[in-house]
Amino acid sequence: MTKKFFTIVLILLFIVPFTAFVGCGHETRGVKCSPHCTYNDMVVGFIQTGSEGGWRTANTASFKETAQQLGINLNFYDAQNKLENQVSAFRNFIADPKVNVIILAALETTGWEDVLKEAKVAGKIVVLEDRRIDAAENLYAIYIGSDFTEEGRKAGREMITLLNDSTKKNVVELVGNVGSSAAKDRGTGFREAIDGSGIVITESQTANWSATEGKDVMAAFLKKSKDIQAVFAQNDEMGMGAALAIKEAGLKPGVDIKIITVDGTAGAFKGMIAGEINTVIECNPLLAPQVYEAALKALNGDALPKWVPSHEGVFYQKDAEAILPTRKY
Amino acid sequence: MKTMTPFNIWKNISGSKLFFSFAALVSIFLFDLIFIPNFFAIQLRDGNLYGNVIDIMRSASTVCILAIGMTLVIATGGVDLSVGAVMAISASVAALMMNPYVMAKTLSAETQRLINDPTFTFAPFGSVIIAALVVAVICGLWNGILVAYFNIPAMVATLILMISGRGIAQLITNGIRIQIFYEPFSYIANLWLIIPLPIYIVAFMLVLTWFLTRKTAMGMFIESVGANSRSSFYSGLDEKFIKLLVYAFCGFCAGVAGLIASSNIKTSDANNIGLLLELDAILAVVIGGNMMSGGRFTLLGSVIGALVMQATKISMYNLGVPANAVMAIQGAVVLFVILFYSKQVREF
Repeated sequence: MTKKFFTIVLILLFIVPFTAFVGCGHETRGVKCSPHCTYNDMVVGFIQTGSEGGWRTANTASFKETAQQLGINLNFYDAQNKLENQVSAFRNFIADPKVNVIILAALETTGWEDVLKEAKVAGKIVVLEDRRIDAAENLYAIYIGSDFTEEGRKAGREMITLLNDSTKKNVVELVGNVGSSAAKDRGTGFREAIDGSGIVITESQTANWSATEGKDVMAAFLKKSKDIQAVFAQNDEMGMGAALAIKEAGLKPGVDIKIITVDGTAGAFKGMIAGEINTVIECNPLLAPQVYEAALKALNGDALPKWVPSHEGVFYQKDAEAILPTRKY
Repeated sequence: MKTMTPFNIWKNISGSKLFFSFAALVSIFLFDLIFIPNFFAIQLRDGNLYGNVIDIMRSASTVCILAIGMTLVIATGGVDLSVGAVMAISASVAALMMNPYVMAKTLSAETQRLINDPTFTFAPFGSVIIAALVVAVICGLWNGILVAYFNIPAMVATLILMISGRGIAQLITNGIRIQIFYEPFSYIANLWLIIPLPIYIVAFMLVLTWFLTRKTAMGMFIESVGANSRSSFYSGLDEKFIKLLVYAFCGFCAGVAGLIASSNIKTSDANNIGLLLELDAILAVVIGGNMMSGGRFTLLGSVIGALVMQATKISMYNLGVPANAVMAIQGAVVLFVILFYSKQVREF
């Protein structure tokens, strides 16, 4: 008796979402307000990766706060770093007739073609933020995310200015997780920019984005040779770790050995105020205003480029004190 | 009466539990001596010693302490996957107690000044340390209760805290990396009394644990629980209570390691502190010549195991091995040591 009941419940559980999905899938619904939509007409389904650190927290907060300010109806979904959660959330948003914009921070680059096609049929606008995916460009409206190579190039250009007066230009590099796109592209961009400037990368080693390892690696470099004029740390944490190692070796970080880091967390700003970090290249998690604006344009049928790099700046020691209170992460 | 022929002496030495881990460490150092000029150079600055060897011991200190606790857990036939997360919890508790104001979104100028003041701490230093360690021991007790009294397999029981623990640490600090400006706290990892303080802490923990296990019957009890839990029970041992104690002690060790790790970078980083260190600790125990199945154990072996891994790492930094080869080489070194423990390879 109970067994039968459970079987029926199970079958219903499988069938109901399926019919719901089929029901919506075949009728293409345009957005009624187009081409004069406002933020108030937007109903956004946002699929976040899950929590992983300060950057992601700030990213999520940005989407929630901006939605409130602009009057956007935001349905937030945290996928707990599981791809299957993301896919099922995506399907739920497609099935929801109220949702007209789906924003995705994808966990994986591949495997999205099917759901993207379903979204297209259902007439939903898909905006990718932060993480790029491998899918045909006509399946999504726009991708907004950091240009890691450009961050590397900026770091390279800042390095050239920092070492302008120095006769020796030995730089060591602290690399993020080997194989991550941020680590690869920041390294490539940096090398591109310093090409021909006389800067030599004497050492390059991974410190896995962590302060502890950044300190260990820098300490080992300094034991080998003190003839180092600057450090390029691919994130703030490794740079702050390196600063500690430099201090222990009896040198002054920021003076004897210059430090450039990427990210722009509050910790790095405090490092700049203390004079230990010279320049910070921003990797901006506050993407919401840009993303929402692009989504609105897409709703109104405006033509959009397929990739817009997020607005990112460069921060210098002299401005650190003034900027710190405005940093959200 | 055994005669002491050179063969017998060799057999005694190579048969010792410590032989292979020690041989691995010596061969890594020999390699460094030949291929890396000035690897063993030690500088004297203000009466303190600086050098690669000191760095190895110092950076290995967290894994050494984790490995000491882990050795006992593994000796009872269990494993503790949660030590990395417990490190993060203890670091977060300490940071929060020293500096609760960072939780606020906006700070007045006065509190801002207070936070950056190296002499300011909200709770007194002693209570910060004690609270962090007590919380770590509670985490260990939790594991112990699940394993010993609920009979949940150790790998599953501790996996729960491994996953949730990091979340707990993030809840404690509200997901913020807390920078620690209070000067005395940074002494834990950064004070040099000829050699850095963490090395003394490791030595103290090693002697303490050795004393508790080898100078009392505790060590024998642990080994007997690991060798055969049921027969230990029938011979009158409260095997559940022994397991509980061992997990609690492992939690304590993780707490100490967490304090050292956060003091080292003067930050409490719930996301990264202790990340994947549980695996390093287990590996150190295995390299040290302990069996994963439990039974007899050697504490010194585990500490040497931790040193072997750190020595490999620092040697590679000095050699300038490309970043993407580091992990593979480390794996090869570990494989090489582990292979020698295999009976088949030894008799080959």
